[in-house]
Amino acid sequence: MEKFNTLVQDLAPRKFSKRGVIWTSFLLVLIILGIIAYIDQLIKGQEVTNMRDYALWGIYISNFVFFVATSFVGSVTVAILRLTKNNWRTPLVRIAEIISVSAIIMAGITIMIDMARPDRLLNLFIHARLQSPITWDVIIIPTYIVISLLLLYFPLLPDFAILKKHFKEKSPKLSKWYGKLSLNWTGSKAQKALQTNSIRIIALMIIPVGLLLQTIDAWLFSTTYRTGWDSTNFAPYFISGAFVAGVGALVAVIYVVRKYRKLEKYITEQHFDKLGKFLVLACLIYLYFNINEYLIPAFTAKKGEAVHLDTLFTGSYSTLFWLVTIVGLIIPTIVLLFKKGRRPLPMFYVGMIVVIGSWWKRFIIVTPTLLHPFLPIQGVPESWHHYFPSLHEWVITVATLAMALLMITLMVRYLPVIPIQRTADEKNIIDDNNKNLES
Amino acid sequence: MEDNNKTSRRKFLDKGLKLGLVTAIGGIGLSKLSSKLNAQPETLSGEKMELMTTDGTLIQVDSSEVVEIDHTKDHDENYNVREGFPNRKFVMVVDLAKCKNALKCQSACNKHHYITGDNAWMKVYKMQESKDTAPYWMPMMCQHCDQPACVTVCPVDATFKRKDGLVLIDNERCIGCRFCMAACPYSTRVFNWGDPGQEVTLNMDMMDHSPSPEHAGAPSIKGTVDKCDFCPHAVKEGELPHCVTACPNGVFYFGDKYEDTVTNGEETLRLSKLLEDKAGYRLMEDLGTAPSVYYLPPTDRLVDFKDGLEDFKEFESVEKPE
Amino acid sequence: MKNCKNKYFVLLVIFSIFSMFTGIQTLNAQTTEKNKVRIKADYVKIMDSISYLDIAATSRIEKQNTTVSNIALTIHNETEEEEIEIGSTITNSKGKSRFIIKDLNTLKPDSTFTYTINISFKGNDAFKKASRSVSFKNAGISATISEKDSTNYISASLSDLSTNSPVEGESLTVQVQRLINPLKIGEEFNSTDENGTILVPIESGIPGIGGNLNIEVVLEDHDDYGTVKKIVRAPVGVPIVEESTYDQRTMWSPRNKTPWFILIFTNLLIFSVWGIIVYLVVNLFKINKS
Repeated sequence: MEKFNTLVQDLAPRKFSKRGVIWTSFLLVLIILGIIAYIDQLIKGQEVTNMRDYALWGIYISNFVFFVATSFVGSVTVAILRLTKNNWRTPLVRIAEIISVSAIIMAGITIMIDMARPDRLLNLFIHARLQSPITWDVIIIPTYIVISLLLLYFPLLPDFAILKKHFKEKSPKLSKWYGKLSLNWTGSKAQKALQTNSIRIIALMIIPVGLLLQTIDAWLFSTTYRTGWDSTNFAPYFISGAFVAGVGALVAVIYVVRKYRKLEKYITEQHFDKLGKFLVLACLIYLYFNINEYLIPAFTAKKGEAVHLDTLFTGSYSTLFWLVTIVGLIIPTIVLLFKKGRRPLPMFYVGMIVVIGSWWKRFIIVTPTLLHPFLPIQGVPESWHHYFPSLHEWVITVATLAMALLMITLMVRYLPVIPIQRTADEKNIIDDNNKNLES
Repeated sequence: MEDNNKTSRRKFLDKGLKLGLVTAIGGIGLSKLSSKLNAQPETLSGEKMELMTTDGTLIQVDSSEVVEIDHTKDHDENYNVREGFPNRKFVMVVDLAKCKNALKCQSACNKHHYITGDNAWMKVYKMQESKDTAPYWMPMMCQHCDQPACVTVCPVDATFKRKDGLVLIDNERCIGCRFCMAACPYSTRVFNWGDPGQEVTLNMDMMDHSPSPEHAGAPSIKGTVDKCDFCPHAVKEGELPHCVTACPNGVFYFGDKYEDTVTNGEETLRLSKLLEDKAGYRLMEDLGTAPSVYYLPPTDRLVDFKDGLEDFKEFESVEKPE
Repeated sequence: MKNCKNKYFVLLVIFSIFSMFTGIQTLNAQTTEKNKVRIKADYVKIMDSISYLDIAATSRIEKQNTTVSNIALTIHNETEEEEIEIGSTITNSKGKSRFIIKDLNTLKPDSTFTYTINISFKGNDAFKKASRSVSFKNAGISATISEKDSTNYISASLSDLSTNSPVEGESLTVQVQRLINPLKIGEEFNSTDENGTILVPIESGIPGIGGNLNIEVVLEDHDDYGTVKKIVRAPVGVPIVEESTYDQRTMWSPRNKTPWFILIFTNLLIFSVWGIIVYLVVNLFKINKS
């Protein structure tokens, strides 16, 4: 009983400290700036961006791809680790689900920012053509949002019931909300059966849907003729990239939450070690696909490919390309191969670098290809031969990232970041038998 | 006495002449002034008409400056803009042996489609496949492919392939996602990133026309895509597309593949014979887009490539009014 | 006394100089304002159908040839004795007008069987008055299709209908009606023989809707006869074959013609996944109830 109480005390949501308030306000400021910039974009049109007829997709799209990739963490951590019976994942799943939900919702918002006529959004539903990859995207993203929300919600039911009791005296209003959300959870056999069954179904379903999401995202590019996009490799390349981005984000957020909430007892160094191995696996697979994507076309060096690869290896985008590949992928891989590299603090740095690298990697995927069309770029202003995002694009993009972080922050604030009931179940059951899962 | 008379006569004549001169000059001046005040410039009729501009302001325009246009025959109720002219398959043939980058095609297209952006729909590329092969001028416009990648990827059916072969755009439907632009391998689509600002170029009489995919650019809409439309608004009136008519060198031939006939305004030829005699081909054939534009290779050239260099502007394709 | 007379005289001179200059100015201003209109008219006769005058009004304004639109023109039939008004017309926005003569018999020719039509413009504020006369005789073309040794031929005869005599030595153009400009067949010059006839082979393989071709035999812009055209419709062409994929289900078709595979597969996926989602939401309600 005492153990249980400490457990709840440790894991129940707490009010923001000063740092939390400053952080949230900071995010809000960024978001408001973004909204102002977006309104300006709505009024003037997308000429406020630096996209033009050749670089017709810019950081709005690469940001969108980044969000879609990061949302894969839900499928990976929750479902794949579950189906492979990796029980160490328990303290990490809640945060993984939170990141997943935030990322995929932001993906939906970000893509609407790129639409030049958002007032005609309904056309995507009324006049939808099933032959278009964008329509597939319009179908899969809401589907994934709903499944991710369900995956977040079902395991929360017992936790909400616990929190309702926990907050009864301290904050009765909050307690009432938790009560409502817990859907009259009593822990009865019938309820448990429904819940476990549902979670199993969701976990099974989210893998193919998650894989389909990443695949369709890749097909937005590989269903065109363009050099650098017209690759049969793209779907698995994107899936493995999502694996990396998702787990990298998970590592970074876990570290922060663990430190902020002092959860060292629950998320131990062993967890980081395991996560580190998981991430290095992801990075190695991604590295493999990168080699296929970049080295093999260099072998035959077809004219179009040669020009494109030249830009990436030694030309105008080379600095970025090598930074992203070496600093963003290879060095993290090397660091994580050593046990010392899989300690919490180094893992945090690695996670951050992997996430930033992932964001810029998608920029490398989207823009250089567009600046190498089949026919030479002629008859347009000189500035159209290059692309660097404008202030509006940066402000809006930063605002979307801030919005994602805000969603994560608010969910961490109001939800138990580690599943309480499940931890209790596991610790009570496994407690006596498997001591090496405790810190 | 006589001296006095002489002097006074002289004085009188003197004064009189001076006065006369001044009066004459004054008379001329006055009459010129009055004619300037009263006369109209030769063509104006003096009547004013009140019209409304595209942004709702009322202005006064001399009625002789307002040109009434023939309203195109009201469309047959049965005419489906998305299906097009019955029993036709429009094609174009571009004779690269004759092109010397005169760019009259480009300016005619820009004018008749009220293009105000920085990217023309008709561009003449300076092409050279490799450093040892000869350079040539290649006019490029929408190829109106029979397997159009742009149409395949459009999520809202804003761009469509007609039965008569044309690929057109419904600017009222377009959501501005630019996927069609990403898919087009010929880089032929342009985007209206901001307000097209056509109030100056688009005559007020065009306001009578309801916008139609058959006359692209009238008007252009912010946040949507535009491209060459093969001028169905001209073909409907029995005229050739504007680029064909404008070319001084007879580079463009236009016609109906089903009739096996194309014309450049002066010569009217059998398409199959033209392609056979001059070894016609299509651009990027192996991509499988099946374009409707055939090119005749620049052999037996009538003009020197270098003659076109003086008109070549690498960074400009639309002349801005100044 | 003399001085007084002189004064008056000089004043008179001054006054006349003044008015002269003013008068000249005003006169000049008036005459430089109006432009000249040039009227062009061509007579065209379509056999077994109407005849018409294609009228175009142009003017040279500021060294540029521009069309003159919206001016009223009156048409008269001129004979040796009289001038009969037969109609009027107004030029359109392109400065052109087509005046249709339904039946040539309503017009009176002169003794040489020549019809003279006068088109006049009485002038307006901007343009001086102008007129133009067109003269033409009545010619006719007849044409028939024949086949010999598996080649189709078109034979046509040109005759002066007023004298019922064939016209020899004139070049007729033989062409197939096409979308914008007609396709010429035969030689560049097909001269009529002593019977006023020509014989032109029709090349095989010319496509037409249903195999039908509209073949025109034209006397182009003749000094005496104007333009005379005979249209023959004959199944001497090759039927056109539709190549369009418009009616098929393809990847580039509109949404009502989605390929079956995509239609079935995507809907199957959507309904099965969302079906499960609905089941899960129902579970939530069940949990709530129990």
